[in-house]
Amino acid sequence: MSSKDRSPQQQTVDLSTLSVDNLAAVKKQLDDELEHLTTSFAKLRQAQNKFKECIATVKTGLRPHKAILVPLTSSLYVPGTLSDTENVLVDVGTGYYVEKSAADAEEFYTGKVKALTENLGELEKIVAQKSQSVQVVENILRQKVMASGASSSS
Amino acid sequence: MAAKMLQNLTEEFKALSKDMSSIVEARQKLDSQLHENESVQKEFASLADDAKIYKLIGPVLVKQDKSEAVMNVDKRLEFINSEISARIEKQISDIQGKQERKKMEIIQIQTQLQQDAQAHVGA
Repeated sequence: MSSKDRSPQQQTVDLSTLSVDNLAAVKKQLDDELEHLTTSFAKLRQAQNKFKECIATVKTGLRPHKAILVPLTSSLYVPGTLSDTENVLVDVGTGYYVEKSAADAEEFYTGKVKALTENLGELEKIVAQKSQSVQVVENILRQKVMASGASSSS
Repeated sequence: MAAKMLQNLTEEFKALSKDMSSIVEARQKLDSQLHENESVQKEFASLADDAKIYKLIGPVLVKQDKSEAVMNVDKRLEFINSEISARIEKQISDIQGKQERKKMEIIQIQTQLQQDAQAHVGA
């Protein structure tokens, strides 16, 4: 609750003095930020799932002499068998691949998933905070609009 | 006359804002490249010296010595860092200064226009 007490309150003081137009602009900016954050969140989730899939594949997909199809192009395949089930090539980023043992690869991907989980947790907090800010702005905006409507009709 | 000038100034201001957002975008791209390279550097640091490292060149994986790969990534990091601190940051502060000056000009002309209008009403 302490974060709720602190951050929006400082803004509320500013907000109540703003005009309807300014409030709408602030709300739009917050909405944009919120949207950006939610798409980032979804992308991180996707990346995390990809790594989880890699872990599952390293664990279960490396059987000796397993029959596979090797893609030569996106539409041309040749049959093959797995000869080396001990080692895999891991994409570590920026076009570099490192040969790792299956256990090391699993550890690598687990580390990635863990880092992403931490990032996702942080991002979730920020998203919650932002949507709260949006709500605060929305409330004040509604009050202002209603007040101006009441004063013009009376 | 003043109205025409005001229009020109607002257009110039808009152009500056557009420049600004494209530079900020370039900065974000460099930032993400920086992060990716840093994570690769960290990964390399934890590898044994005889680890087999391959570099993806087009569709082909080419074997590369660890020392060479490490040097490559270090050089890239150095380049990205200098690019961010020397070039992009300078561009951003440049444009911020220009925007500030334009804003002052616009405000000046706006107040002048208002004064003119008031003088008309008074006369």
